[in-house]
Order: sequence, then structure tokens, then C-alpha cells
Amino acid sequence: MSSKVGCTHCHLEFNDNVMIVDGEHYFCCKGCQGIYHLLKDEGLDSFYNKAGDTKLTPPIQQYEDSSNFNSPAFYDKFVSINKDGFSDVSLIIEGIHCSACVWLNEKALHKMAGVISVNINYTNNKAKIVWDDTVLKLSSIIDMIRAIGYNAFPYDASLQEVRANKERQEYYLRMAVAIFASMNVMWIAVAQYAGYFTGITQDVKTILNIAEGVLATPVLFYSGWIFYRGAYYAIKTKTVNMDILVATGSTLTYMYSIYITAFERGEAYFDSVTMIITFVLIGKFLEVLSKKSVADTLDIMSNHVPSSIKVIEDGKIVEKNINDVKVLDIIVVGSGERVALDGTVLEGEGNFDESNLTGESEPVYKQIGDKIISGTVSIDAQIKYEATKDFAHSTLSNLVSLLEGAMSNKPRIQMMANKISEYFSAVILGFALITFLVWWFWPHSFERSFMVGISVIIIACPCALALATPVATLVGLGLASRRGILFKQASQLETMAKATTLVVDKTGTITQGKPRVVQEYIYDDFDRSLLYSLVQNSKHPVAKGVGEFVLQEGINNFELQSVKQIPAQGISAIYMDKKIFGGNLKLMQNEGIETQNILHTHGTSHVSNSGNSEFYFAVNDKIVAKFELFDTPKADAKESISAIQALGIEVIMLTGDHQKSAKKVSEEVGIKIFESELTPEGKFLYIQKLHDTGKVVVMAGDGVNDILALALADIGISMGSGSDIAIDVSDVVLLNDSLASLSDTFKISRKTYFMIKQNLALSLLYNAITIPLAMAGYIIPLLAAISMSFSSLLVVGNSLRIRAGFKK
Amino acid sequence: MDSWVIAMMLGVSIFLGSIALVAFLWGIKSGQFDDEQKFLNAVKFDTQEDLNDAVDQEKKAKELKKKNYTPE
Repeated sequence: MSSKVGCTHCHLEFNDNVMIVDGEHYFCCKGCQGIYHLLKDEGLDSFYNKAGDTKLTPPIQQYEDSSNFNSPAFYDKFVSINKDGFSDVSLIIEGIHCSACVWLNEKALHKMAGVISVNINYTNNKAKIVWDDTVLKLSSIIDMIRAIGYNAFPYDASLQEVRANKERQEYYLRMAVAIFASMNVMWIAVAQYAGYFTGITQDVKTILNIAEGVLATPVLFYSGWIFYRGAYYAIKTKTVNMDILVATGSTLTYMYSIYITAFERGEAYFDSVTMIITFVLIGKFLEVLSKKSVADTLDIMSNHVPSSIKVIEDGKIVEKNINDVKVLDIIVVGSGERVALDGTVLEGEGNFDESNLTGESEPVYKQIGDKIISGTVSIDAQIKYEATKDFAHSTLSNLVSLLEGAMSNKPRIQMMANKISEYFSAVILGFALITFLVWWFWPHSFERSFMVGISVIIIACPCALALATPVATLVGLGLASRRGILFKQASQLETMAKATTLVVDKTGTITQGKPRVVQEYIYDDFDRSLLYSLVQNSKHPVAKGVGEFVLQEGINNFELQSVKQIPAQGISAIYMDKKIFGGNLKLMQNEGIETQNILHTHGTSHVSNSGNSEFYFAVNDKIVAKFELFDTPKADAKESISAIQALGIEVIMLTGDHQKSAKKVSEEVGIKIFESELTPEGKFLYIQKLHDTGKVVVMAGDGVNDILALALADIGISMGSGSDIAIDVSDVVLLNDSLASLSDTFKISRKTYFMIKQNLALSLLYNAITIPLAMAGYIIPLLAAISMSFSSLLVVGNSLRIRAGFKK
Repeated sequence: MDSWVIAMMLGVSIFLGSIALVAFLWGIKSGQFDDEQKFLNAVKFDTQEDLNDAVDQEKKAKELKKKNYTPE
């Protein structure tokens, strides 16, 4: 009788009896309903046509107040004034799933008076907004974005990201020129080669040479500028790199070809010049494409620091800059505000969200005398507290500076291709010089000796070598991304392949991240609808777990009277003449409900010592049921962990949870080594210890409490559903959250690495055959061109073999 | 066939090609291809309404600019 229906706004499907019915529409929550009506009123409901049946995220309740965005300190940091006198801000918008979302955000903001332009990037969800600050404030813009079901937070767009974008654009331009010219040079070269074999008059040959020369010039000096620059820096630091080989090879060939063209003898090599530059440039571009910037991450982290806080001075509340607050100052925190300094509560009480620091999503109840920690968010608390540390020494800024340290101390494993190309370049330049000298002393003309010397460089053209790594990694990355594994940087595949140890977080990574009922004890008959209605009133994960468990066909959601939340204990309510309670043992005892009875008559086995959470349900002062809940491992956890162990990787579990449940989970999935009750710093230190013993560490986690460890590990892997900061700090993201992808990540990276090695071997072998030929003077231009293309094709073709053995 | 014909044909075709290249470079520089997804979607979905919106938006920006510059 109950069936699944989709929410009109977010399209997520639920049973129809839990949905809010509104005319012919169904909504999963008040938030979705609100947005639907807002869009309809604003005439923006064509959004739903554009979105199709894309699943959206239901709006999340915002704890933080948007007026923070109007503080002068905030404006100083993130808002810049452009030359027309308008304000500029860069935001990251959360919750964008499809192009319709981009459309909706742009449209809704455009409708606001005072907004000049909005430009949202679909790929990275970053928005640039220009508005007139005299007409409206930034907070109204943020409020609008939140009202339509998204969330936005600012980031500092300066520095690294801008630089990275500029570099990428520069490569695009240079590559466009190089590819255009080499395509044209190639068809001219076809005429040249045809003439070489069938005869060609010298004046036609000269015309073709000049045309090629005209096309080769911008390629060498504009597109190839990067190699000159690289060569310059290499000479300055007294090293030999591939850039020197490319730069000298192509310049010498270019000059030689001009000489040939001018004096009308021999063959010109302009086509080789353009091809070398183009191929190597493409290889370099593929590397640039996959670089990530560290700066973004730190920006997001510092967004967690409120820019000003309220301090009581002489009986009045004053706003102060965070750095001016001293120890023992009295600070006021309202509901929805973020705590900036560590301290002790003097007055008031309420719940705090500490998930940033502990990774556990349960709110923590604080009252007079309790310590509060910076970085946590007050959910409903109105308190006054005394600062025990100043900002520089508070937990939050410690975390930020540790994170900065971890990002810059990340061990760098030198990439194999770089190592090889260093030697390779030096050897080839040496060979070319020797060849030239030998030919010259065994009497040959200068011209002939010079040509043979150059042909060594041309034939050894590092095209295949330059493409060996990027093409293989690209195929590997493509394969990975189709399975929901996103690598942020190509070189990480190689590091990943060398990994010896995998460190995993428990909550949310190995386990589901939310407790489920594993054991049910019924002491007396009761109406399950009553229990369901009661737990609907709580956001506590345990209550949600119970709600999911009792949800079945025919269950009803009653309207309850005088619902009361008792912090850290449970909920009570009245229905008809019944007084009902749901919560932990402490609640039952405090309410004077008979508990001894249950504990004794049913034996001690019912007193949990297995690390399970307990939920009691009482009707009219009598306990009728008890539920034991446990955060169970994901379905594929055991299988995937043993697959990873079979690859010879040591698996270690670290968790902030207590010993009992850590032990239970680790036994269930087959992990031998685990550490429990670790703070974020504890995990960080543990990974540092592993590094000291020479291990290459991969860390998989999802919460804010894992970020230090993720940042420090050689490879940080985060779950797609994890917190944004965790995703940002990590190097690899598993979009489908499954542990099977984790073992795939290892397999794909190992296979890719194997192919990179094979490619390098192939291109070196290739050179081993052709270089002696070139040194003996047997290389003609056509052979040089064909061998260059052929070796590159060989490498590309070989790289495609990575896909073999992986289904799909 | 005289060789100058070849020279002329080569010259003209390279010149025409380079015009297209310059136009492409301009497109890259002005950021038209920065967000490939959006760029492709605009081709597929943009309607008359979107064009009107763009014009309105430009008008609004111009008005606000004018207002800011009124000397007082």
C-alpha cells in the first residue's frame, strides 16, 4: 500500500507515507517545499524542465548566520573593488549537480537589483560575482543562494589559482599555434618527399622550403619558448634536462635548414623542427593540465575562522578583531555561530557540533564549567565563556598551521620519467657531438659532418619519451574516472603504485557512517507507529537509525504533544493519554522509570558491553523495548580489504571512536592492526611514524578530523560524500564511496605504472636501434619523420593496453 | 605551370589558415572556452529568452555605472 515516490524538488525517492503532500506534489522535507514555491513565485520553475530527473541535494539547515559576510574584516579579505567601482567576490557554490543548477543560480542572482554579473563555472562550481555594494550587501546574495537550496562560501581567488589558469591558457595558445603549423608543414612535406623520390626542380623545392620555414618560425620561437626558458633555468642550476635537448636540437636543425634553403643544396628539416616541438609540447601540456593548487585548500580552512567576535567589555558587548582578544576575556556565542577561541563556559548551555574535530556527527551538550573548542559550531547554545587561550594558540589555528606544514612536507617521490630523461638528454647530446667530431676528422666536409651530427639529435627526438608517461597516465586516469575514481594529479598514479601501506579511517570509510539496529529486545507490546513518530522528532543518528528500523508498511506518523528534547539523553512526548520516552539508560533513570527490573530479570547479557549504542523506549513509565545499534561495515568492505591485502599492502585502521567498536569492526573486515581513540593530531603523528620507517602511505578517510592525516600521507583518498575540506586536501576522490573502488585504485595505478615502464623501455629500445644508424649517416629526412611518428604511435598504442583486464 | 603559381597558392592558403588561427587564439584569450561544459550547453539550450536576459543584464550594468558616475 505504500510505494516510493520522488520529491518534486530534489527527486530523491521515499515512501509516500513519510512525504509532505502539497496539492499534486510530494516533498521530502520542508526545505524542498519552500524552494519549490519560491521558484514558482519568482517564475523560475522552468528549472525543473531543464534539470530533468537529476537528483539534487535537499537543502541543509544552515547553522551559520549570513550577516558575518557583511563584516569589514570579511570584505577586506575577500571582496575587491574593480575599476568601475563595483565589488567583486569569488565564491564556491555547493550543491551544483547539473547545468540547470548553474542556470538557476545565475538567473536568480541576475534578477536581484544591483547584481552586475554572475559567472558560474560548471566544472569546478566556482562563481565570480560582480555587484554594486551601494544597492545590496553580500549577505543578501548569499541568502538568495541559500534560499534556492545551495550554499556558498568565499575563497581567495588570487595567487595560485589565477596563476595556474594563466599557465594553462598560455599552453593552449602555444599548442594551437604549434598544431596549426605542423599540420600545414606536413602536407607541404608530402610534396617534398614525393619530389625526393620522383624528381623535383630546385626552384620548386626552394619555394616549399621557404613555406615550411615560414610555418616553422612561430613554432620554434613562440611555441618552443617554453623549452628555451626551461633550458635556461637548467643551465643556471647546472643540470641537463630534456628542455636543453629539445632546444638545442630544434634550433640547430632550424639554422641548418635555413642554410640549406639559402644555398639550395641537400634537404631541409623544417618538418622535424615543428614535429619535435609539437609532440613534446603536447606531452608537457598533459602534465600541466593535471596540477592542483594547494592554496584553495588553505582558503577553505581559514573560512572556518570567524573574522570578528563579540566580547563583553564594561558590561557592554563589543565586536573585536579575533587577534585582539586576550586570555580571560569574556566572549558571547549565539546559536549558529562558530567558536573561534578555546575556553570554559561561564553561563548558559546548549548543543555544539564538534564533527570538525572528532568526525562523529552527534551534537555534544555543554554546560557551565565545560570546555569549548575552537572550530566547533553552536547549534542552539546561547553562552558566555571565558577565553583560556588566545587565537594563535587555539585548537583551530593549530590545526591550520599543522595542515600548512603537512602540505609542504609531503614527501616527493621523484618521477621515473624525469630521472631517465635527465640521463638520456646528456647522453644524446654527447653522442651528437662525438658523431660530428668523428665524421669531421675522418675527412668529410663540415657540412656533411654537421648534418650527420644533427640527424642523431633529430632521430633521438624525445617525442616518444616525452609522451610515454603522460599518455599512459591519461589512459589510466580515464579508466579510473569511469569507475568513479578521480585523481587530482597525474603523477599520483605513480606514487600510488609504489604504496606499501594503506591507512583507513573507520567511521564513514569502512563503515556506513550511521548506526543501524542490530539487536531488538521486546519486553511488552507497543504500537510501533508511536515509536516512529517519536524518533522523527530527533536528528540524533541513533534516533534516525531506530526510525529506519521500525519504518515498515502501514506505519503512521502521529501528531505528538509537548515534544521535549533532553540534551544528551533523548526525547519525551505525550500522545493521547500516553506519556512516551525514547533515549538512553540515563534518561530512563532520570525520569524515574523502573530499570532495575529489565537489567536483572533479563540477565547481564542485555547490558551491552559490545560497543553498541543503546536506545530504550518507554510508554507510561514502563520500558517496552530496547534496541542495540551499531555502525556496521559497508557490504563490500571485507572483500575489498582482503583484495588490497592480497596485493601485498599492509592495511591499518585508525579511528577516533572507542576501543570496543574499533575492535569489532576491524575483526569483521579482517584488519589486523588498528588504533582507537585518536585525535586528528594522533592520526597525523601515526602517519609521520610510518613515514619515518620508510613506508609509502596511502590514507583513506572522509571527515574533517582526517584532514591532517590526508594531507600528510603520500596519497590522501577521500570519499565523495565526505566533507569538502577532506575532499580538497586529498589527492584522490572516490565518488561512489565504495571500498571496491579503493582496491581498484591500487590495481589501476599499478597497471599504469607498469605500462609507463614498458613505454619508456620501448622508446629507449627504439633509440638504441636508430641512433647507431644515424651515427653511421644512414638517416634521410623521410626516415627521420616516419620514425618519429612511428615511435610516438607505438607508445600511444601500447598505453591503450592498460584498459585490458578491466571490464567496461 | 610556373613555380610562382605554387608560391602564390601556398601563400594564400597559409594566410587564410592563419586568419582562422588568429580568431581561435582570440577566443581562447577572451575566455570563451574556459568552461567547456557551459559552452557546449549554451549551444544546445540557449533560447531567445536567454539572449533577452543577457541584453537586460547589460542594460542594468550600464545604468548602475551611470548612477555611480553622477557627479554630486
